[in-house]
Amino acid sequence: MKLRARETDGVPADVEELLLQRAERVRHKPAEADDESLLWVAEFPVGEETYALPLETLRAAVPLKMVTAVPLSPPHVIGILRFQGQIVTALSLASLLGGRGWREDPAVLLVVDPGFGRLVALDCERIPKPTGLPHALVEEARARSTGAISEITLPGMRQVNLLDLLRLMDRRHAQEKR
Amino acid sequence: MDPLLEQLLAGFVDESQEIYERITRNLMELEKSPAQGPGFDDLARGLHTLKGSAATLGLEELADFAHRMEDVILPLRGSAKPLPAAVADAVLKSLDIWMARLRAIAAKGELPDLGPSFALLEKVKPAGAAKKKNGAGKNGKGRAVPEKPAAEVAPPPEVALPPPPVASAPEPAPVPVADDAQADSWRVSTRQVIALLQEVERLREVRLRVEERRRELEKAVLQLDRLGIQAETAEARAVLLGVRRSLGADGEEAADIVSSMEEGLKTISTTPVRTVLDPLRRAVRDLCKATGKQAKLSVVGAEVSLDRRAIEQLRGPLIHLVRNAVDHGLEMPEVREARGKNPEGALTIRIEQQGNMLFIEVGDDGAGLDLEQIREAALRRALVAPEELASMSTQQLHQLIFRPGFSTRMEATEFSGRGVGLDVVRNQIQALQGHVEVQSVAGQGARFVLTLPADLGSSPVLVVRCGEHQLGIPMAAVESSRAARNDDLRVGRSRVQLDHREQLIPVQDLGALVGLRQQEVPAEGQPLLILLAQGRRLALSVDEVLGDRELVIRPLPADVRELPAYQGAATLARGELVLILRPDFLVNSERNAEAGLAGTRRALVVDDSLTARALHRTALETGGYLVHTASNGRQALEQLRHSAYDVMVCDIGMDEMDGYELTAVVRQRAETDSMPILLVSARDSDSDRQRGVATGADGFLTKKECVSGRLLAEVSAVIARRKGAA
Repeated sequence: MKLRARETDGVPADVEELLLQRAERVRHKPAEADDESLLWVAEFPVGEETYALPLETLRAAVPLKMVTAVPLSPPHVIGILRFQGQIVTALSLASLLGGRGWREDPAVLLVVDPGFGRLVALDCERIPKPTGLPHALVEEARARSTGAISEITLPGMRQVNLLDLLRLMDRRHAQEKR
Repeated sequence: MDPLLEQLLAGFVDESQEIYERITRNLMELEKSPAQGPGFDDLARGLHTLKGSAATLGLEELADFAHRMEDVILPLRGSAKPLPAAVADAVLKSLDIWMARLRAIAAKGELPDLGPSFALLEKVKPAGAAKKKNGAGKNGKGRAVPEKPAAEVAPPPEVALPPPPVASAPEPAPVPVADDAQADSWRVSTRQVIALLQEVERLREVRLRVEERRRELEKAVLQLDRLGIQAETAEARAVLLGVRRSLGADGEEAADIVSSMEEGLKTISTTPVRTVLDPLRRAVRDLCKATGKQAKLSVVGAEVSLDRRAIEQLRGPLIHLVRNAVDHGLEMPEVREARGKNPEGALTIRIEQQGNMLFIEVGDDGAGLDLEQIREAALRRALVAPEELASMSTQQLHQLIFRPGFSTRMEATEFSGRGVGLDVVRNQIQALQGHVEVQSVAGQGARFVLTLPADLGSSPVLVVRCGEHQLGIPMAAVESSRAARNDDLRVGRSRVQLDHREQLIPVQDLGALVGLRQQEVPAEGQPLLILLAQGRRLALSVDEVLGDRELVIRPLPADVRELPAYQGAATLARGELVLILRPDFLVNSERNAEAGLAGTRRALVVDDSLTARALHRTALETGGYLVHTASNGRQALEQLRHSAYDVMVCDIGMDEMDGYELTAVVRQRAETDSMPILLVSARDSDSDRQRGVATGADGFLTKKECVSGRLLAEVSAVIARRKGAA
């Protein structure tokens, strides 16, 4: 059966205009080659700044509830929670970053796999949104960075701080040891 | 190597290890009793299985090797005497080489030489064996394939060996004895079992969610009831009630399934601790032979089943402790006799599982720890300063033997006391989230007690409330509970004691021990738990006793595992986690948790957001503050009733009582009317700031301004302003 475009007769002009715009956008969807040149990240705010972490490290975004506080734990530890049969530590990202302000009390936990064989949860003010960052810019920023954060300046001077979770956790362990 | 053979080899290594352990056990028993009976038969069967299985896999040299061991052992069947020590020695050593060779083949490593073992076996081979071998050789067959062992010529009826081959036919490789249990079993990887355990955990979460839905439904029905439109909603309510009942039944069924799956997996993933204890007998025997000492190893509780992984990890520490006991603890027989002891030293291993805590005790009746030698060694190696050493208690001195430098250097200097490599033991036990203690009486022996969490078990826990926190205490440590009565409390300058059954025992506030608040004298009627652990008694004051539960205690994640206060965490009925305290932490925390912090500035953070509290705490602790927290106004007022703070950092937007109301109440109280207060808010408006000041706050900061330096600066500023005002 051959597919035919829907008739547009009788469609109001404004709706038709909207449909045309959508079609245009679809036509300009980046080719696969472009997709490959992007690093997909989960982007979220921490206070006044924008942070991101590679989407591949994100396992889930869950509401910040049912967290059990752990008295006597280091201050960056918010508590522990159950996640898919495991007990996972919830950590304060702002605290890990050295004390950042925040606009809203975090209500979301991002369960991430930093790459050392166990999951941790990081608090977050809002559910992150998936975004693509140009690989070239990411690599350039990573080359410049010596720490857990690579500062990426996007067109329009928008800055995104890309987190390297392994380094972030390493730094925390180093701080604890000190 | 053929991939199929490689796969078969891996299974054969495991199977052989089990047989190896069985043969070793039998050999050691037959060294002490007549070489006959089921033990001998089992030994013969084990060697035969090794031979047969090796031949089946084409490992001719191992089949031949096992055959040579049979040649040594089988002629001794039925002897009224025990196996000669030299024979047992030779076969044990040969078995070690046999296993090493098999492992090397599987790992494609360097193969150990079999020549010395062959020579050793030849040396101890009973005279009759040669005759039988010659007799067996009469069929004219050479030894290209393993010779028919003597026992196969006329197998005793109780030994399940294959029938003798037809005389003229080439001798087939012996067929491994099929074990019914093995034939019915599968080899499953640890990863698969762990994955299943996690799935069971997920199922438990689903069950909890079902329970949550049932409660929500119940609330909805109640709301409909309250609306007063009962007639219109009757049908809907009937449906909802039906669903609620079904959810309840489904939840219960799911709980049953979870329990039964958990029990099944427990059976699959555990094995009797005997498997790790049997090789210890061999170690004791060999070491006694090497040192000229005599020792008898007794084991109590070998039937306890443990997580197979934990058993593997326990092997090293236990061998270390037992070797240490023989080598350094037990005296030579003549010395023991001179001291009025039995020349044969007594080594005891006692295993006990209480809920999901495992206690393993390795004890000996040797010389015990020599405190003087420990002191000398510690000084010689500069492990502690002389003045510190002088003030150390016996218990603290005992702990020195676990110091890394202590053990290794002792060995090098031929120190005759205990402690060689015990740091390794401690590290291995700590890696299993356990701990090791030592108790010793000079001249009477030493006792090492390993305490480990045992997965897959549940244990009774007393759940208590302390402020907003629920915490669990293992029931094994709870002797009794009672209400505090002022008449029974002895309040001193630095400590509080309880007159309990004509004994004065220290009183500690749980909140203070876990850093939630300052030490408080229990109020009249406040619950007190009498704890007993490590021989110490403590009266622990808590805010409320919530009841005892049977809980599965699981290890904490790595980020908080090192905290000495906790044994693990368990899931309560509603799905929330409860931390389980370590009784030894509680009874050993006699000193006031904050005693050393006199003069430290104290801050109270009040915020209903866990994460905001964590952030404030991070910033304030960086500035040297001791921080206590409260999650709402009511708790903050409770904290302020008992403790004094240098500053209060308080969120404005809280439920029940917001920051303005709390500030107003605090200002009305005489003891807090001049306490500096800094209000923080997610909102940034002049009206908020003005209202804050109007209610009596000293400063205002938005949360986005709460970067560490700024918060600390503002806290200092409000304290200064308050002082200035005074």
